[in-house]
Amino acid sequence: MTHKEHEHAHAHIGPATYYKIFAALMVLMFLTVGAWWVETVVEIPRALGVFIALVIASTKTVLIVLFFMHIKVSSRVVQLYAIAALFGLLFLFVITMGDYIARGWPPQLGPLP
Amino acid sequence: MRRGREAHPPASRIPHPAARILVSKEKILATTTTTTSPHGHADHGHAAHGPELQHHFCTPAQQKEAATLGMWVFLVTEVMLFGGIFMAYAVYRWAFPEVWAEAAYHLNTPLGTINTVVLLVSSLTVALAVSAAEAGKRTRVIQLLLVTMVLGVAFLGLKAYEYSEKFSHCAGYSTPAQWVGGGEQHAVYECLVPGQAFLFPADKTTGVSNAPTVAGQGTPYQLFFFLYFVATSLHAVHMLIGLTIMGYLAFITWRGVITPTYFTPIEIGGLYWHLIDIVWVFLFPLFYLVH
Repeated sequence: MTHKEHEHAHAHIGPATYYKIFAALMVLMFLTVGAWWVETVVEIPRALGVFIALVIASTKTVLIVLFFMHIKVSSRVVQLYAIAALFGLLFLFVITMGDYIARGWPPQLGPLP
Repeated sequence: MRRGREAHPPASRIPHPAARILVSKEKILATTTTTTSPHGHADHGHAAHGPELQHHFCTPAQQKEAATLGMWVFLVTEVMLFGGIFMAYAVYRWAFPEVWAEAAYHLNTPLGTINTVVLLVSSLTVALAVSAAEAGKRTRVIQLLLVTMVLGVAFLGLKAYEYSEKFSHCAGYSTPAQWVGGGEQHAVYECLVPGQAFLFPADKTTGVSNAPTVAGQGTPYQLFFFLYFVATSLHAVHMLIGLTIMGYLAFITWRGVITPTYFTPIEIGGLYWHLIDIVWVFLFPLFYLVH
C-alpha cells in the first residue's frame, strides 16, 4: 500500500462539512420552489422551467453523492461505479427518446396513414 | 494489501500454476474448518483487528472497500429501477405537456415541500450518524438513527395523508376525516386514483370531465396520476425498507457491534438512505412543481 493510498483510505468528511452541505441543499430546495412560484406569475417557456428544475435537482444530487455518500473521498473503483449509474441513465434516455422522436412523438390525432 | 497476502501460507508451496485452483480450494476448506477454532487468527500475522474481519479479507480496509463497492453495485441497479419510471415520465410529459400542467395542479405542493425538507434533514442526521460512529460516540449514533427514523415515519405519514385525500375524493368526500367520520359528501365528484372510476375535474362547476381524447388514450390525465402513484409508492416501499435498516442499525449499535474501527454497516446503510433522498429530490419537482 503506497502512502497516497493509505491517506486516501483514511480521508473522511466531518460534521462541519455536513452542516454546510445541508445548508446548501436547503437553499437549493427553496430556489426550486421559488422558481416554481415565480413561474406562476411570470410566463417563461415550459422547457426552460423543466430545465431549471432539473439543474437544481442535479446539483442537489451531486452534493449528496459527493459529500453525504463520500464519493469525494472514495476509492477510484467506487467513484467509477457511481459514474456508471449516470452512464446507464444516459444510454436509457438518449436511445429511448431518440427512437420515440425518430418515429414521430408526440403521436398525431387523426386517421392512420 | 499485498503485504497482507504474504502473511498467508507462502505461495512457493504451490507446485504448478495449474494446481493453483485446487490449492486455493484446499485453503478455503482449511479456513472454514479453522473458523470455529479459537486460535483461528493466530497464524494470520495481523492481530490488530477485531472479530469483525472475515477470513477471506486481508485487512479491515479491504473488507470495508469490498462492502462499499458491493453497496454501490446495488445502488446502480436501484438507479436503473427508478430510471425506468423516469423514462416513462419523460416520454409522456413530452407528449402531453398541457395535461401535465393541469394534472399537477391537483397535487398538494405545500405537503410535498414539507416532505422534501423532512427527507433532507434525515439525510443530514444519517451523515452525522456515520461521523459519530467513526468517532465512537455510541449513544449519539443511536440518537441520530432514531431521529432519522422519526423523520422517515413523518415523511410516510404525510405521504399517507396525501394518498388518503385522493382516495377519499374517489369515495365522494372532500377530506379523509369526513370519509372516516361519515361527514358531508363532496359537492363536485372527482377521482384522481387511476382505475375504472377515474374522473378528472376539468369543469369544476358541473363536475363533468371534459378530458380530450388523444390518440390511443381515453383520458391522458390518468397517465400523470398513474406515474405519480407508481413512482411515489415505490419510493415509499424503499422508505419502509430504509426504516427497517435504520432500526436494525440502531439495534446493533446498542448491542456494541459498531466500533470506531468497524462502522461499515452504518456507512452502507446510510448510502441506501441517501439514495432514497436523491430519488425524492427528482420526484418532487417532476410531480409537484409542474407548469
